[in-house]
Amino acid sequence: MTKSKHTLSAEERREKTLMVLTPVASVLLALIVGAIIIACLGKNPLQGYAALLQGSLGDLPKIGKTLERACPLIFTGLAAVFAYKCGVFNLGGEGQFIMGGCATALTVFGLGLTGPAALALGLIAGIVVGGIWGLLPGIMKITRGLNEMITTIMLNYVAMYFMEFVFKNLFSDQGLPKTPAIPKDGRLPELLSAHIGVLMAIILGIVIWYVLFRTSFGFKIRATGMNQTAARVNGFPVRRLVLLSFVISGAIAGMGGSIELLGKAPYRLADGFGSGFGFDGVAIALIAQLNPIAAIVVAILFGILSTGGTMMQSVIGVPTAIIDITRGLIIIFAVAGMAMIKLPAIKAFIASIGSKSKKVEANA
Amino acid sequence: MAELLRMTNISKRFGSFYANKNVNLEVERGEVHTLLGENGAGKSTLMNVLIGLYQPTEGTISINGKEVRIASPADAVAQGIGMVHQHFMLIENMTGLENIILGDKRHKSLMLQKADDRKTVEELMERYGLEIDLDERVGEMSIGMQQRVEIMKVLFRGAELLILDEPTAVLTDLEVQGLFDIMNSLTSEGKSIIFISHKMREVMQISDRVTVLRRGESVETVRVADTTEQELADLMIGQKFTESVYEKVEEAGAPELTLKNVSYHPEVKHGGLKDVSLTIHRGEILGVAGIDGNGQTPLAELVTGLISPESGEVTGPDGAKIALFSPEAFIGAGVGNIPEDRNKMGLVGDMTVAENLVLKQTTSDRFSSGHGAWLKMGAIAEFAEEKRQENDIRCTSVNQTARSLSGGNQQKVILARELDGAPTLLVAVYPTRGLDIGATEFIHKQIVAQRDAGCAVLLISADFDEVLKLSDRIVVLFEGEIMGTYPGANPPIKEISLAMAGK
Repeated sequence: MTKSKHTLSAEERREKTLMVLTPVASVLLALIVGAIIIACLGKNPLQGYAALLQGSLGDLPKIGKTLERACPLIFTGLAAVFAYKCGVFNLGGEGQFIMGGCATALTVFGLGLTGPAALALGLIAGIVVGGIWGLLPGIMKITRGLNEMITTIMLNYVAMYFMEFVFKNLFSDQGLPKTPAIPKDGRLPELLSAHIGVLMAIILGIVIWYVLFRTSFGFKIRATGMNQTAARVNGFPVRRLVLLSFVISGAIAGMGGSIELLGKAPYRLADGFGSGFGFDGVAIALIAQLNPIAAIVVAILFGILSTGGTMMQSVIGVPTAIIDITRGLIIIFAVAGMAMIKLPAIKAFIASIGSKSKKVEANA
Repeated sequence: MAELLRMTNISKRFGSFYANKNVNLEVERGEVHTLLGENGAGKSTLMNVLIGLYQPTEGTISINGKEVRIASPADAVAQGIGMVHQHFMLIENMTGLENIILGDKRHKSLMLQKADDRKTVEELMERYGLEIDLDERVGEMSIGMQQRVEIMKVLFRGAELLILDEPTAVLTDLEVQGLFDIMNSLTSEGKSIIFISHKMREVMQISDRVTVLRRGESVETVRVADTTEQELADLMIGQKFTESVYEKVEEAGAPELTLKNVSYHPEVKHGGLKDVSLTIHRGEILGVAGIDGNGQTPLAELVTGLISPESGEVTGPDGAKIALFSPEAFIGAGVGNIPEDRNKMGLVGDMTVAENLVLKQTTSDRFSSGHGAWLKMGAIAEFAEEKRQENDIRCTSVNQTARSLSGGNQQKVILARELDGAPTLLVAVYPTRGLDIGATEFIHKQIVAQRDAGCAVLLISADFDEVLKLSDRIVVLFEGEIMGTYPGANPPIKEISLAMAGK
């Protein structure tokens, strides 16, 4: 065997392969379980899944809709990825997302903005306020040691009720519990039947990958996330890095909220805006194993399930709840699978399979 | 007195390494029998064999003259052997009584028989003079009382032989006296105690007999009445290999770092520093000898900027007082650090070997462009490959995670990183702990080479042989205090070993 410069050991290569295979297998397994449930309901699962694909990717407008559906999830997923990379368990993606949306609404309606000004200032306001909403639990953590998992969840409620105050009291649309729509010329332009927020989300994912893996700032963020003690001993400003990751994570989620409001119909805040996106983001980050690019892919998969599920319901008449179950199963299988392949017994088992197959190769 | 326990020719082998070799230990009824030995002399292994955590490779154990097999800790309890661990195994949120009766199966009832058990415990308390507030939560008890709860746990299970593993390490002087009173009343009631300690004074005060272990073998068993501290120290240390492998430096250079009357939590005996004064010179290895847990950790943290002193002052090479204690500042001033725990403090295990090699230099011009913004991936890979070959780091690729390397190779990664850019002060804490001979030699050579290049080296190690082998000057730490300073060439070993034991 020759040793080249950048080859990995067989064990590490196997581990990397497994890390990729596990989520893929989880998706397949979840779809199979979903199919069994559909069959139990007396419907044809293949027909159902065909409808699902047809409904989500059947033509350009449908693809656009799917991508728009995935867009907020890409943002909350990336927000979670960035925070977790620095060892911060930000569960407040939803609150930061909502506050981003609120900031945009307040800026646009409060200043009576229209046109590009509404778009630009609204977006900036969303990013800034999202970052501030992330900063709060960050300050609480590094000064008082409060667990961010609790504070961020609590702040989600604060954000939710604040949004209610905005759409019911501050900028209610003729007394109805919703804000007016963002003026037409202040919305995000469309590109190939999806608003350009989707493109921005994908570019952001690539930028985050680059920052994390190709800059010294990202290096320090990752080192801090993986071993805070070693980061401190080796002279990294750990507290500052942790605080920054809170802020950046919040800003990413806030940008998502802002884009959701500026880009997607009905272009207004109302009950349910941003609901569930935060936790979906967490799940996406975990399935993607904290890889920003993979997070985009997983978010789009979630988008496919959402939009396709509606079509499946109307074609074969099964409730969309089936899709929610499938999505839940993907999360469970992926997370459980990842934990399992780290178990020593499983590792040994896989290693034995690996060596056996190698022997077979050698004999062949 | 009748014999209670006899361990005959016990050997325990791990791979090719004998942690115990032909160890003999015999404990009589009603005696305090001390196990004495340096770190790594095999005391813990022997006790783990006795309480059933390890199976001996060879040898037999008999209790009351009958040979027994102790296959598990439960067997040990059934044979009347109970261990009080150095770190208590108590549930803080439960009361004293609940902790004592936890897991005991004497009642054939589904319900707890607390009232009944309380009576039993109270009788035992009375009999042995153990004072415990049974209704207080353990978390709110003093350390001394927690220890009494541990002892009571063992007595409640009917132990005839109690193993106390360094029981005085966590206690105040007053509590130590209280513990000794309890030990005396236990032995007067016919119980036997195996006492593990490093502290000569206590050993002389409380034991009836002492068995000395050295390098995994039992050297001798002596009656305390027939021996002296000096003799015990000699037995424990043995014939040290004092012939110099490396040339010792007698004339050191200018002072690099000076500590003047530095204190840090001086009230904590095993985690503080009390009035420490020392100077580390350029071109000199200053060795800090001492039993583990006598202030080595805070000393290492202080000279790497992780903690700041509560009183006293630290001055740098120019004689100016150091005001800012932070790892960044110390690293910037050229302090290299081989930390105590390589996995926790030295490496980011999930990052690659290459990434760990540049951990401290990610914003340097060498490995980044744009004033420390973008990483130069090529330069990093090249550097890593160079260091791999230079230091013989055995890995299939520098893109392998640091975690997947062996201990010796992990330490080489740290060493390569810390020595790059020639530090002015190198702090090495237990640098060869757990390493094989080859890696140990390599690391020793590198440390000596740094000294010869004019670097000031502070070597902190619980391995006395290592300190003797490398140090040009030796100081001894005991309970956070400096007990004395000794020359590194022809060191007065007896004096040093007594100083390590607090004498």
